[in-house]
Amino acid sequence: MALTLLIICHFFTGYGLLRLLRIDHKPLVILPLAFLAGIAVDSLLPFLLQLCHCPLYPVTVFGSMGLVSLLLNTGWLRPVRADRGTTRPSQTLKSILSPIRIRSYELPFLLLLSFLIFVSVWRCYYLPPTSRDALSGPEAIAEYAVREHTIANSFFTVDLSTTNNQFKSPFLIGLQVIYKMAGFPFGQVWLSIVFVSFTCLLYQLLKLTLHPILAGLLLLLMTMAPELYAYSFMILYDYSNMVFFFLGIYFLFRSDGKDGAPGEFFFAALLMGVSTYIRSETLVLAAFFLPLIVRKDWRNKKPLGKMVRRCVLFLLPSLAAYFLTTWLYINYYLPVRYDISSLTNPHLLQLSALYHVYVNMVTELVTSAWSLNLWGYFIFLWAAVFLADVLVNRRLSRPARDWLYAVGVVFFGLGLLSHIFPLMEVGLTIKRGFFKILPSMLLSMANSRLLIMLSTRMTRWEEGLVVRSGG
Amino acid sequence: MKRLLLTIISTSTVLLLVAFGKYREWFLDKPLDYWYGFCAEVRHPGSPEEVRRIRYGLPYTLSRKIQEAAKAGQLHDPVFLFEPNSFYHDSLHIDLRMPEPALFYYYTGLQGVWMNSPTVQKANYLVVIRKGEVKIEHIQTPRQLQEILTRYRSFTPTL
Repeated sequence: MALTLLIICHFFTGYGLLRLLRIDHKPLVILPLAFLAGIAVDSLLPFLLQLCHCPLYPVTVFGSMGLVSLLLNTGWLRPVRADRGTTRPSQTLKSILSPIRIRSYELPFLLLLSFLIFVSVWRCYYLPPTSRDALSGPEAIAEYAVREHTIANSFFTVDLSTTNNQFKSPFLIGLQVIYKMAGFPFGQVWLSIVFVSFTCLLYQLLKLTLHPILAGLLLLLMTMAPELYAYSFMILYDYSNMVFFFLGIYFLFRSDGKDGAPGEFFFAALLMGVSTYIRSETLVLAAFFLPLIVRKDWRNKKPLGKMVRRCVLFLLPSLAAYFLTTWLYINYYLPVRYDISSLTNPHLLQLSALYHVYVNMVTELVTSAWSLNLWGYFIFLWAAVFLADVLVNRRLSRPARDWLYAVGVVFFGLGLLSHIFPLMEVGLTIKRGFFKILPSMLLSMANSRLLIMLSTRMTRWEEGLVVRSGG
Repeated sequence: MKRLLLTIISTSTVLLLVAFGKYREWFLDKPLDYWYGFCAEVRHPGSPEEVRRIRYGLPYTLSRKIQEAAKAGQLHDPVFLFEPNSFYHDSLHIDLRMPEPALFYYYTGLQGVWMNSPTVQKANYLVVIRKGEVKIEHIQTPRQLQEILTRYRSFTPTL
């Protein structure tokens, strides 16, 4: 019962936000997107309540969730432009909940995916593996926040000299507080909602360009990346960070395409902000997309003022999230202090060290035998598709180039971050940061000319039979 | 007919994927093993406390034992001092890891310190673990605490 209410609340919060920003997409994309957007909004609420000195009781936490959901779904926050018909209307609730059509050849992939999802959800709900990073920080803080009604609780009276996990983003704390208050002793069921929604969303996005068999196969290969799968039921920041980072890029690229709506650019910026809220260093990766925005605006001959405004607008939510989580939360909310400057590399200009970071990333995370235990054959498959695309077609499609840029941003951005913050070790933090590269590779493959050509042939061949048998 | 053919192709692809190579290894070790775990748990579901014991392992069980001992001994405001993990490993040659103070607090709600903690002076009980048994020794004077710290000085506290 509690879970059903939470799910409904997440959905309506997210759906309200999507309508507010007039996000238009396939119904089966809007549905999971609403859940993800809802979870993102709700994750902020316990933290914001605390910043307003409001104690965390079920009535305040669930009350604020209900209120936000209600506000987002009333006419009060509807943008004035909505009635002018300048953009297409967002999906109606009825169309989102319309029946789903599945073809018989999709079933094997969907069945295996469902099995993997079921096992993940069960582990997440019943036997949750919890990393030390979560237990010695956000999980413990959330546990005592539920008992003592505040995030700045007695956990901070303990000797914390062996850990710095108490300074990590309040994203996990917020969601753990909500789910523990709802009666789940381990919380973390929200992670299953994120996992299921993201998997469904990716499948629908892949099917936009690829034949369902190819879409199913590629999605399965990504889901079966062992390390990524493990984090679908083990709470930490990286899986959620990957999801919102990917969505941010997706809507950034989409906002400039023919299907783009004006609200999508701001939605992309918001999603990137959520991703930065989850892991503050994502701000650096977000900034790497500014050249892409400038390049596209330059091509579209947009005035300089608008170009600057768009860059600022894109980075603003991420800057706000960074400000909230690292400056306000750590320096002024938490009862203990943390000096981030002591963690930075004093020899930033030693470029040979940076080069070695990149070499280590390739040798440890991509080409080593260990990398197979992390990602399966997914990265090799992407490399093969990319090479084949370049060799056969000589040219990448525009969306494929965009996604290649995203892959590059994650790879070079993470290397740079590891150089700036030596505590971000290649085998640990950077390995988990690599999650962000996988969905970008997936969408890069979804826009491969070679795979699209293959998909078109498969569809034509298949439809030929349908037409004949129908006639 | 073509749809049937495509269904056969997709079924074969899925079967091949989980039947060979790295994916087979992973599939048997992880999802399938979790599935068997699920089937066993459905037959005999455990309480949240049992699940915690399975999940967090020996450090959790020991922490709970310390908590029970503290309750039984009616200790007032105890701050437990733990022997270094390297002592168990290097001197007693046992694979035992006491949780760090933050984890100990999460498990029990009680305060603990390590030998090198900045707040080690607050310690008033020493936790000694021998042959699976938890013993709690009262530290009555700062001098006694100093002697304990000296005794374990050669063992660096590690996670």
